[in-house]
Parts: sequence; structure tokens; C-alpha cells
Amino acid sequence: MTPRRPALDEGVRPGEIVLEHASRAFSVKADRGRTLKEMLIGRRRAGGPAPVQALRDVSLHIQPGETVGMVGRNGAGKSSTLRVLAGIVPLNSGRVACGGQVVAQLELGAGFGRDFSGRENIFLNGALHGLQKEQIESRLDAIIGFSELGDFIDAPVATYSSGMFLRLGFSIAAHLDADVLLIDEVLAVGDEAFQRRCEARIAEQIAAGATLVLVSHDAALIERTCERLVVLDGGRKVFDGPVDEGMPFYHRLMGTAVTVPSPQ
Amino acid sequence: MAYRYLFEQMVRRELRQKYKGSALGVLWYLINPLVLMGAYYLMFGVIFPAPSEDDYPLFLLVGLVVWVFFSQAVLSAAPSLLDQGALVRKARFPREAIPASVVTVQLVTFLALLALLTPITIAIRGTADLALLALPLILACLFAFVLGFALAVSVLHAYFRDVAPILSAALLPWFFLSPIFFDPSHLDRFSDETAALFVLEWVNPVAPFIVAIRDVIYGGALPALPVLLYVGVAAALVLAGGMALFRRMQGELAVVV
Repeated sequence: MTPRRPALDEGVRPGEIVLEHASRAFSVKADRGRTLKEMLIGRRRAGGPAPVQALRDVSLHIQPGETVGMVGRNGAGKSSTLRVLAGIVPLNSGRVACGGQVVAQLELGAGFGRDFSGRENIFLNGALHGLQKEQIESRLDAIIGFSELGDFIDAPVATYSSGMFLRLGFSIAAHLDADVLLIDEVLAVGDEAFQRRCEARIAEQIAAGATLVLVSHDAALIERTCERLVVLDGGRKVFDGPVDEGMPFYHRLMGTAVTVPSPQ
Repeated sequence: MAYRYLFEQMVRRELRQKYKGSALGVLWYLINPLVLMGAYYLMFGVIFPAPSEDDYPLFLLVGLVVWVFFSQAVLSAAPSLLDQGALVRKARFPREAIPASVVTVQLVTFLALLALLTPITIAIRGTADLALLALPLILACLFAFVLGFALAVSVLHAYFRDVAPILSAALLPWFFLSPIFFDPSHLDRFSDETAALFVLEWVNPVAPFIVAIRDVIYGGALPALPVLLYVGVAAALVLAGGMALFRRMQGELAVVV
């Protein structure tokens, strides 16, 4: 095992994010694995759709403590950018660096063991973020309290409703002392009261100095939470600036994309 | 080792999922080699008597538990990265932890079997000897060898889905060619065919591990120096090779699984 903690990438401060001329393409073939035959003959099957260029020469510099919303059409490259920042998917070209403890909430509850209790999953999930047993124990009460799961915390996760599942996932991720928070459209969690508490919890983390990159289609949420806006379109960065200037730009972009039949 | 606790958690999870819902639970790990031993004893001890070894059931069992560890570990490691796809796609952590935890679970059951089998064998055969002190070292080498092999197989299978089926097809003839039912040096038929003997003894990388462990437990003697050297070198090479391959290929794992 490599002792590769998601620690400081080189040359960046905790909470700082650098993306330089980042490009990344994905093959969109139905069968993504290669077969041995192809490897032996040394070529891939011809035909099928061409690779999708998810990121084209994107550069982004985010200072510690900044709050950045990321918007764009479906397929604009928002989630790919987050997966690149989280260090899950490597770039084809360019450079990425994220400083400090990076907590990515790309899918709440990913990796929960369904036969395990909520409590056991807290330990498993914390360990996945590189925490040791004692560090998780010290946050256990806060996580359980925030999740509002009560006695269900000792029931197998398989018996949870989808809302409970997501609440637990968010509660764990929200108590990991992140320097960088990467959140992909996961705030539509549970009921309205819980959503408000999620937002409040994120605000607390920002107040404590965390950097936030939030992908969402909820313009109001982004206006409430973020000061800076990045608009992506077709894998390119088409706007980067204050959110109050960016939102009109984004709405125009989306508006022009749809041809509205003009009343005659 | 920042991820030591993650590794511990994953091993625990594997163990738990293995025994879940099975009435006999851990006992299956005892029953399987015993059933195998009974079947092969019937075949090669009674029906077609092979070159007879003393206490043939014990001779068989020692070789079988080593083989079962090797084959189960690599067979269950092969699809492990795909099985944990949700984790690989959504979280950043050392992916080696996944196949390593699968191998470790198999190691735990193997060591438990060995802890039962060793005293029984020694008691029956009177093979208590200082050579036993070398056993932990040989077992460490075996673990390194299996781990390296499993790392390679798991990452290869994530990219090329033919690897696991090929492996499971290869394991059967590999099993029969491994010195589990026979001691290669006792095969009279091959005594003047040094090439065939050489292949049986040295080309199969699992063979020296079986021979070494059997020498200590069943034979009560230190393995020959070439065997010990082979075991050490094979462990180092395979582990280093497996880790290097894994590191080289793991970049795209989140995309391919």
C-alpha cells in the first residue's frame, strides 16, 4: 500500500486549487474495457462514437477560502472538472493541484456497505478519507447528531430510506475538516429543514476557511453560497468572475441555446 | 501509513460479507480442504496409488491448503476492483487497498487452517524441529508472492475483462501440475527425464512454496537452499512487479471500472 494521503499537492497552499490548461477526453463506447484480443492485435475496434472532449484547455486558479459555483448545460464538463480536482480522474494534458484535505461529495454514500450499520459505515467512510480510528471517534457524536438518524444509526444501512441514506452520507462528509470542499449537486438531500442545515453547515466550513467548489443547477443556491461563478460550455470555460455578473451571462447562454418560437 | 485504518476496515468488511448468511460460516474453510483431501486421497491413495508418501492424507493436506490459499486469493482478487466500482469511481484513496484486503482475508483463513494442521502433522509424524522457526519467513514470502500476483491480476482484469476467465481456466491444469499429490523427486518415471522434472520443480512458481512449507511441517527439515532462495527471490520479484504494474495502470481505474 502506498501511504498516499490526499495531502498537499506540490506548490499549492492548503485550500488552493490550480488547474492549468487542463484537457481530458472520455471514450463513450458502451463497453469501456478493452479485451485481450484487441491488446494482442494491437488495435481497438473501429467505429462507434468518437471520444467526448470533457475538458478543453481549462485554466482555473482558486485562492484558499474562495467560494466558487460552477454551472453549465448537461455535459458541459462540470462533473468531470470536479472528478479531476478530486484526483479521481487524471488529465490527458495540463496540470491539476489541490491543496490540503480534499473532501469530494460526488455521490453521497458511495461505498457504504449495505449490510453494515450506519455507525460502522461512518468508520468505513472516514477511513476512506484517510482518517484514523481516534479521529473518527472524536467526531462520531457530531456526525450522528447531524444526521438525525437516532436509533437507526445501529440498523443496517440496507434498511434506510433513500433520504436517510443521503443524510448519513452528507453528515460524514460534512465533518471531515475539509480544506477544499467539492460538491456535485448533492444538496437536494432530505427535507427542506435538512437542506437548510446542510447549507448552514457548509457556511460554517467556509467560515472556518474552507474553499468551496459547488456544482449545481440551482441558481438561487449558488447565488446564496458563492461569490465567484465559473460557466462551462462544451468543455471550455466561457465565464469566470463575480456571481452577480455571471448569472445574467449564464441565463443568456441557456436562453440562446433554446430557440424560442417568436410570436408573430 | 495514513490509510492503515482504511485497510483494517476493508478487511473487516470482506470477512463479514463472506460469512454473512451462511450457517456454517468459518467452518466452510475447514470443510473445503478436508473434502478435497478426501477426494484426492481416494483417487491417488486408494484407486490409482501414486508414489506413496507416508501419512499420505497429511502430505496432501499441507500442499492443498497452500494451493487453496493461492488460488482463492488470486481468483477473488481478480474482479475485486470492479466489485468495488462505486468506491473507485467516487473516492480517492490508495486503490491497492482493495485487492490487498481480499488477499489478507484469504491469508487469515489460511493461517487459521495452518494453525490447526501444523500441530496435528507434527504430533503424528514427530517432525518437531528447529526448522519450524523458518516457517514464518516462508509464509511471509508466500504472502508477498500472492499479493504481488493479485495486484497484477486485479488491475489487468479491470482493463481487460478476459483476465479472470483465463485465470480460472489456467488454475485447474496448474493445480494438477503442482506438487500437491506427489513429491517431484519421488517420481521414478521422470528420474531420467531431467527436463520434465526441472519444469515440474522450477518453472511453476508456486511449486517451491508448496515444497518449502511441506518440508518444514511434514518433513521436519529445512528446505534445500535452492528452494529457499527461489522462494525469497520469487516473492521479491513478483511483489515488486505487481506493485509497479498496479501503479502504472491505476490512473484510469475510475474511468474503466
